[in-house]
Amino acid sequence: MTTWRIMITIARYHLLQRLLYLVLPWAILAFSFAVNLVISAELPPNTNRSGGLATIYVYVFAGGLLATVRSLPFGLALGVSRRSYYLGTAGLGVVLAAVYGLALTAAQALERATGGWGVTLHFFELSYLLDGPWYLTWLTSFVGLVLLFVHGMWFGLVYRRWNLTGLVAFIAGHISTLLAAALVVTWTHTWAGIGDFFTALSAAGLTGVLAALAAALLAGGFTTIRRVTV
Amino acid sequence: MTATITVSGLTRRYRHHLALDDVGLTVDGPSITGLVGRNGAGKTTLLRIVAAQELPTAGRVLVFGASPIENDAVLRRMVFVREDQTFPDIKVRDALKAASWFHPHWCGELAETLIGEFDLPTDRAIKRLSRGMRSALSIVIGLAARAEVTLFDEPYAGLDAVARRLFYDRLLAEYAEHPRTVLLSTHLIDEVAGLLERVVMIDRGRVVLDAAADDIRGEWTTVSGPSAAVEQLVAGRPTRGRRRIASQESVIVAGALDDIDHLRARELHLRVEPLSLQQVVVQASNPAAEEPNDRTHA
Repeated sequence: MTTWRIMITIARYHLLQRLLYLVLPWAILAFSFAVNLVISAELPPNTNRSGGLATIYVYVFAGGLLATVRSLPFGLALGVSRRSYYLGTAGLGVVLAAVYGLALTAAQALERATGGWGVTLHFFELSYLLDGPWYLTWLTSFVGLVLLFVHGMWFGLVYRRWNLTGLVAFIAGHISTLLAAALVVTWTHTWAGIGDFFTALSAAGLTGVLAALAAALLAGGFTTIRRVTV
Repeated sequence: MTATITVSGLTRRYRHHLALDDVGLTVDGPSITGLVGRNGAGKTTLLRIVAAQELPTAGRVLVFGASPIENDAVLRRMVFVREDQTFPDIKVRDALKAASWFHPHWCGELAETLIGEFDLPTDRAIKRLSRGMRSALSIVIGLAARAEVTLFDEPYAGLDAVARRLFYDRLLAEYAEHPRTVLLSTHLIDEVAGLLERVVMIDRGRVVLDAAADDIRGEWTTVSGPSAAVEQLVAGRPTRGRRRIASQESVIVAGALDDIDHLRARELHLRVEPLSLQQVVVQASNPAAEEPNDRTHA
């Protein structure tokens, strides 16, 4: 049985790498923010938008990846089941995403209060996706971060189980799935319908779609770890 | 009564080779069992399957009467030290900390002592340790875990002779104080001969020898001296490994020699030596060498 205690111990095991999970994501985001701040200060004061926020999402993906590629063998050597390892790791991802989401929400609030840090920089605010009330900003950030963490975990597990060939096939599978979906939409002439769906979909609705996707990835990764050997 | 470890019909097939072929093995109660065999014989695969790190193609493994696969209750009571353990990017101290969280019988005091004896720098990142130091770290974890089932897979890679001696001494001392079921795979057989109570030999994925270490030691004897005298003594016995240089001959004879044989050997001026564990294992891994006994003197 996977107990809470084991899950927490697994999370602590990962957090031994403080730099990887706690320091670097924020250091990189801070650097990206600083760069944007300097540029914005030089630009005329209209609304300066930036994609710099993406760095933390990319970093969280890498965190999930390393949690399975690098840390799994010693983790299993410590005497836990694959299931416990998986749930503990995913649990850590959920908690980190919740806390990170909170920090991003606070930063967004501060950005709004200071008129974009005094230079109309919209670093923590993205139109449509992250421009609602604070709780929606938190929810969308949280879901997005969980999504990338569990996706990274799955990538790492695929690599552990099937090596590079498997990883290439896995990525090819991703692309093929998107291609197949696009082709189906084209052949059924439903692009307009899809457009309407997303236009009509609120940020909250989109968050729901992302949450469903995250749940699917979590289930997919679990089926992969069941037969991973180290 | 369920045995501590029961392996039955265990087979592991990889795409192009059979790593384990219908392996059966029962280990019950506290003991130190040596798992010996050549490189690629299947020792590591067997231990990995017992530790549920690898999965069997067929057959099964029971530890404390239950399958260790996805079984936290069983896995918690085991520790597996492997030669090629990969670690995350952490320091020595962190690895020990993690081990202390997971192993219920962890002895921090022992870990400290061993760290000192092996001279391990706790502040250093594991990836910056030498091969031998990494082995020492794994050994410290394996011993300090005080797990009821302790699996060592060639744990001494890169360790110098002094450190290996230290490992054997500490293993024995720990075993005496806190008896546990130890499986130790090795090919430095003579070095650990004094430690082992039982020897299981695996060759090409099959168990070819499974006996008490004491029984094995007396099982083969080398007789050497002048050819004619050697022939006289070994007549009618199964022999192997015959070597002849000029008029001198050396023959390995199955079975222990009794008092009368020893007396005769002395009269014939022959040297008689029991084969060491290592030599027995070499013999056992080479069954084709058995010679037809065609040079007997009736």
